[in-house]
Amino acid sequence: MTNDKMKNYLTIQNLVKYFGNDRAVDGISFDLTEGEFLTLLGPSGCGKTTTLMSIAGLHKPDAGEISVGGKSFTSMEGNIFLQPEKRDIGMVFQSYAIWPHMTVEKNISYPLEVRNCDPSEIEDRVMEVIRLVGLEDMVGKDATQLSGGQQQRAALARAIVCDPSLLLFDEPLSNLDLKLREKMRLELKRIQNEVGITSVYVTHDQAEALVMSDEIIVMSKGKIEQSGGPHSIYAKPVNRYVSNFIGMANLLEGEMAVVSKTGLSEISVSQDGETISIPCVLDDDSISQGDTAVLSVRPENVYAIKEKPDGPTIKGKVIQTVFLGNYVDCRVRWGNFEWKIQAHPREHLTEGEEVYIRLDSNHALAVLP
Amino acid sequence: MSNENTTIEPNTERTAWWKSFVTTENVITSITSLVIFLAIILPLFWLIVSSFQILDDMGFDTEWGLGNYYEVFQGRVIRKAFINTLIISTGTTILASFLGVLLAWINARTNCPWRDKIEPFNLIPFFLSPFVGAIAWHNLAAPKVGFLNNIARGIFGIEGHIMNVDNIFGVIWVTGIFFTPLVYLFVVGSLRRMDPSLEDSARTTGASLFRTTMTVTLPLVTPAILSGAIIVFVTSAGEFGVPFKLGAPYGYDTLTTQIYSKAVGDDANHYLGAAMSMTLAAITCVLIWIQRRIIAPKEYTTVTGKGFRPNTIDLGRWKWAALSVNLLYIFVAVILPLICLLIVSFHPVWEGKIIPADLTLWNYKKILYFWSPESIGIATRGIINSFILAFSGATIAMIFAILISYMIHRTKGFGATALDFLCVIPIGFPGIVLAMGVLVTYIKTPIYATLGILLVGYITRFFPYGQRNISSIMLAISEELDQSSRMAGASWLTTLRRITIPLLKPGIFAGWILLFVIFLRELSISIILYSVGTETLSVGVLYLADFEGDPLTAALAIVQTVILLGCIILFRKVAGKEALTA
Repeated sequence: MTNDKMKNYLTIQNLVKYFGNDRAVDGISFDLTEGEFLTLLGPSGCGKTTTLMSIAGLHKPDAGEISVGGKSFTSMEGNIFLQPEKRDIGMVFQSYAIWPHMTVEKNISYPLEVRNCDPSEIEDRVMEVIRLVGLEDMVGKDATQLSGGQQQRAALARAIVCDPSLLLFDEPLSNLDLKLREKMRLELKRIQNEVGITSVYVTHDQAEALVMSDEIIVMSKGKIEQSGGPHSIYAKPVNRYVSNFIGMANLLEGEMAVVSKTGLSEISVSQDGETISIPCVLDDDSISQGDTAVLSVRPENVYAIKEKPDGPTIKGKVIQTVFLGNYVDCRVRWGNFEWKIQAHPREHLTEGEEVYIRLDSNHALAVLP
Repeated sequence: MSNENTTIEPNTERTAWWKSFVTTENVITSITSLVIFLAIILPLFWLIVSSFQILDDMGFDTEWGLGNYYEVFQGRVIRKAFINTLIISTGTTILASFLGVLLAWINARTNCPWRDKIEPFNLIPFFLSPFVGAIAWHNLAAPKVGFLNNIARGIFGIEGHIMNVDNIFGVIWVTGIFFTPLVYLFVVGSLRRMDPSLEDSARTTGASLFRTTMTVTLPLVTPAILSGAIIVFVTSAGEFGVPFKLGAPYGYDTLTTQIYSKAVGDDANHYLGAAMSMTLAAITCVLIWIQRRIIAPKEYTTVTGKGFRPNTIDLGRWKWAALSVNLLYIFVAVILPLICLLIVSFHPVWEGKIIPADLTLWNYKKILYFWSPESIGIATRGIINSFILAFSGATIAMIFAILISYMIHRTKGFGATALDFLCVIPIGFPGIVLAMGVLVTYIKTPIYATLGILLVGYITRFFPYGQRNISSIMLAISEELDQSSRMAGASWLTTLRRITIPLLKPGIFAGWILLFVIFLRELSISIILYSVGTETLSVGVLYLADFEGDPLTAALAIVQTVILLGCIILFRKVAGKEALTA
C-alpha cells in the first residue's frame, strides 16, 4: 500500500439518513480508489447532496459507516462521529461560499491559519495555489470583486490549499453560465489531476459527469441505480431510469422473445397492433424469456433508410428534422412511438417522407424496466 | 465487510454513546436555550401562580382563589382603569394609524417636496421617551401652567384655557403622536416594495387613479396597516409613563398605573398586581398572536422581490399641503415639545411664561454635577445607572440574540421551532407586566434590589428585538459560508468568531444601539424593579416630576433626549439609511 493507490480509500457502508419520515438516503454503499474522481449523479432529491454532506460531517446520518484512508469518520454503530473540522476535507460549495468580509488571499489562507501554520509558509502555499487555479490577477482584491468564475476558482483554491485527504464538490458549476461551465469543467478536471486528491463530485448534469469522472454513481430516490465508468454507464445502462437519465435514448417496452447467453437475444415490441421481434444485447441475468424488458437504443445507433431492407421491418414517417450542423436531429413516427435519430446531413431526410428504421443490434440493449 | 473492518485504525474503537453529543456547539447552545427558557418561563409561571393567591386583610398570609380576578372585573376602581385602558388604546390606535398611513403614503408614493430629507425626522419619536413627551405636553397645554394656554391668554385676552391635556384625550394625543412611527414603519415598507405593475395594470383596465388607490393599493397594504395598528394598540395598553403623567393624577387611572400603585408603596399587593397584569397580558398576547399568525402572513407585498421603483403620484399644488402635514407632525411631535422643555428647564420656577431675567443653568448643575453636594442624587445616579444598564444590557442581550438566532436558523428540528415561539412571548407582554413577573420570581433572591434584577428584566423583555435584527440578516446569509469554514478545519467557536459574527456585524451594531436606546429611556420595567440606589434615568425624571418642580424635570428630560438623539445619529450612521424603513 506504499506505492500503489489504495483501493477502498473512501468507503461508505449502508448509509441511511432520514428527513422526518423521508428516507433521503436509503442504505447506500460504495467505495472509491485513492486519487480517483467520483461523481454522484441524479435529479434533485435523489440523496446525492445528503450523501456528500454526510461524508463532510455537515449532516449526521441515522445509520451507516464512512471511512477515509482507513480512518473512521462516521460509524453510527460504533458511536463515532468526527466533527467536520477534524476530517481534513476540502469542499467547494454550490454558492462557492467565499467570505465577503475577507480579501481573496485571506479566504484562501484561512484553512492554513486555523491549522496554525507558519506565516511565511502560508504565504508561499497561498501563492502556489493561486497560480494553480489562475487567480494571479486578483491578488490583493476584495472577495466581493470576484466574478462567478473567479469565486469558483477561489473556492477551489481554498479547498485544496492544505492538501486535504478528500475533496468534495457540491454542484459547483450550476451557478455559472453555459460557456463558462464548459470551460470550468475541464479546468476543474485539470487541477484535480494535477493535485491528485481523491474527489467526490455531486451534480445533476450528466454531461458534466461524463466529462469529468473516473467513476459515476447514478442515484434515484436515495438508492444507487448503477455505478461504473462513464463509458460503461453510457453504453451499458442497466435499466430504463439510467438509460433515460444519461444521454438520450429510444425506450420501448416489450417482452423477451429469445434469451441468448452468447449471441443476440430478441425482444418483441408492439406498436399499433404490429408486433416485431428486434435483435438486441441482453447482459442482465435476472431477465429471462417471457419477462417484460425495455429496449434501449441511443439515437446515434438508429438509422433511417429509404430502401426496404430484408426481413421484418419498422416503417415510419419523418415528422421533424432539425439541422444541427454536424448531424440532423430527426423524429420518425411509428404508431404511437417517436424514434429519435441522429442522421447524417448527407442523407437528406425530409418531413413527411416514409422511411425504414434500422437498429445497430450490437448497441441495442434490453434492460430492466 | 470483514476486510474493510481490519483497515480501521485502533483510535476509532467504540466510544461511549454520549461522547459524540458533547461538542462545544451542543454545550453552548443547550445552556443558552435553558437560560432563555427559564428567563422567560419562570416570571410567567410565578405571575400566574401569584395571581391566584389572595392576600388577607392583615397583609401577611395568602390563600388560593379567584378573588384577585373578581376584584379586577368587579372592583369599581380597577374596572374603571380597565375601561380607560381600552379607550386610550383604541383612541391611540385610531390617531396613530391615521397619521402613520397618511405620512407613509405621502413619503412613499407622492411627489411631496423634500420627502427623503423629512423621513428621518418623522421617525424621531420612535426613539424618544413618550413619558418625556407627556411632561412636555403638560408644560405646553395644562390649563394653568401650559405655555400655549398662556400665550393664548396674552393674545386673545381670554380667561381660562384653550386646551387641556390633563385628561384621557391628552393621554391619547401624546401616545398617538409618539406611536405614529410604528404604523409608519409597517406601512411604508409595504408601499415601497409594492410591484408597480399591480397598479399599472389596474390603470390600463380603465380605473382612475382614485379608484386604483382604493381598490388595489389600499387593499394590498391593509395587512401592514392592521399589523401596525395592533402593535400600537398593544404598546399603548402597556404604556405607563403617559397615563401616569396626564391621566392618573386627574382621575383617569389605567391598568398600568393601577399595577404600579399595587406593586409599590405602603399598600403594595403583588398578588392583586399579578392578577391585573395577567388580565392586561391576556389582551396583548391574543392581539400579538392574531398579528403574527393571521395578519403578518397576508402581507403579500413584502415578499415580492426588490428593485421596484414604486409609482409616485403627482399631487400638483396639493404637494405643498402634503409637505405641511409632514412638517406639522414633526413640529407637534418633536420640535414644539423639545423647545418647551428647553425653555422650562432654564427657569427656576415655571409658571407658564418666559421670564428672561430668571434664566439660569442651575437646574442642569443640580442634575449633572454628581460630585457636588447640591446635586440631586436620584438624578445623577439615574444617569450613571442607566448607562451601566444600557451598556451591559445591550451587550448581553445581543450575545443571546446571536446565539438564539443561530439556533433558530442553523439547527433544525423541534428545538428551533420551540425557540422561535419562545422569543415571541416577551413581545406579547407589556414591560410592566413582565416586571411584575420578574419581581415575584426574584424577590427572594440576592439580585433583588440590585441593578441585576433590572438587567434581567430588561434583557428578558427586549432581547427578541435584537434577535429579530440578527435573524433577518442571518436569513440572507448562506449557511454554506459557515459550513465552508468548518470544512476548512475551523471549530464551531472559531467559525462563530471569524465568520458568522463578522458577517452579522451591521445587524449586531444596529441591534445593539436599538437596545441601548430602549434601555436608556426604559420606564415601565424600571419603575417596578428599582429600589433606593438603583434608580434609572426615567425613574429619575418620574421622581423629579413627582417631588420637584417642572424645571428640574424638564432639565433631566432634556439630558435624556439629547443622549437619545445622539444615539439616533449613530444608529443611522451604522445601520445605514435603509435600516429602519426597508
